[in-house]
Amino acid sequence: MANDAAITKDEIQTVFPKVAETMADALGCDVEQVKLDVSLIEGLDAESIDFLDMVFRLERAFKIKIPRGKIVENARGDLPESEFEEKGIVTEKGLAQLKAYLSEVPAERFKTPMKVADIPRLFTPETFCKLVIHAQREAKAAA
Amino acid sequence: MADHFAAFSFVDRITELEPGSRARADFEIPADLPAFPACLVAEAVGQLAAWVAMAQIDFRGRPVAALATETIFHRDVAPGSRLELVVDIESCDDEAVAYGGSAEVDGETVIELKHCLGPMLPVQDFDSPDAMRERYRLLCGEGAPSGRFHGVADPDLVAIESASGKSARAVLRVPRSAPFFADHFPRRPVFPATLLLDSQIRLAMELARSSIQLSAGTRLVPQRMTNVKVRAFIVPGQDVDLATELVSAHGASSTARLSAAVDGRSVATARLEIATRNNR
Repeated sequence: MANDAAITKDEIQTVFPKVAETMADALGCDVEQVKLDVSLIEGLDAESIDFLDMVFRLERAFKIKIPRGKIVENARGDLPESEFEEKGIVTEKGLAQLKAYLSEVPAERFKTPMKVADIPRLFTPETFCKLVIHAQREAKAAA
Repeated sequence: MADHFAAFSFVDRITELEPGSRARADFEIPADLPAFPACLVAEAVGQLAAWVAMAQIDFRGRPVAALATETIFHRDVAPGSRLELVVDIESCDDEAVAYGGSAEVDGETVIELKHCLGPMLPVQDFDSPDAMRERYRLLCGEGAPSGRFHGVADPDLVAIESASGKSARAVLRVPRSAPFFADHFPRRPVFPATLLLDSQIRLAMELARSSIQLSAGTRLVPQRMTNVKVRAFIVPGQDVDLATELVSAHGASSTARLSAAVDGRSVATARLEIATRNNR
């Protein structure tokens, strides 16, 4: 499957149980609290160190490599960085790209103007499922 | 700066190096110390990983303690011992270093660290990059003179409450000044996370000793620490609220949940497995 092919709900449901368990371990919460669409920062009190922890654990749980900053890089797609953001603010084009990538996030949660530093506020467990699926596809393509 | 690279530095010489990948090093524990806690052995392993990582990115960043998935305490280390440190770098870039490692004494493993991760922060915020480069050259060459570590006084731990068999709370009074702050770090004094963990272990062990019935000829020891997560720096003079709770007991071992907070904000969490061992 091409790495940029749309991710299906089935693919997400396949990886979600292990992603949820890994996130619950990292956040010290019950796995039942890790819903697919909960905001990690506002709903589960995640901080920047927790994101690092989650990525570190997901790498080991799924035996994949996830470069730091990969979510924003995936979201940006082919858009050059200079067109995605200007002085730390996501451009209009960038916001459209971000909304398309984070399609699971309700539209009202995308603030305008949006700071690049605030993008993690949008992340949900589904965002991390997509991250894992992309990394799995990349590993498969490289094999 | 007599205490720089002395009062809290635990690598004397790097004896083998595969840049960015693997290293071995020595540290002589001065024989005149009253003790050398296991957390300082863990610190020594972490410092070796930090040197390898900083050199790999040309001293643009330095890692700080953040995550340690698993630390296994095999046995105590006596003053006068020579620590042989080993680290394997899993990944390293300008954002973070991931590593594992161990320490041995006379060929016997005394501690193991698995899946640790330290985010990188700018070196110049903490120390002189040139001084760090020079120190690294010394460590990789003839080595630094040993015997310059003079111990760390246990910080005050003031008991607040204890529900026997279940939980305990205490306040850790971080000193306003101490020699180790000149080394950790010269430009930005930070209370070492390993000393915080040492205090958390002390509190958990006191709770366990008051709660667990031991048979004759046995003692309780910290065996394994998991899910260590350090969220924020602790600065000189801060009061840290420590809490520990015994959450499970299986046969000869118990598990304690550890937490630390400053002004109500969590700064560190971990779990500690406590085991019963026969006195030797």
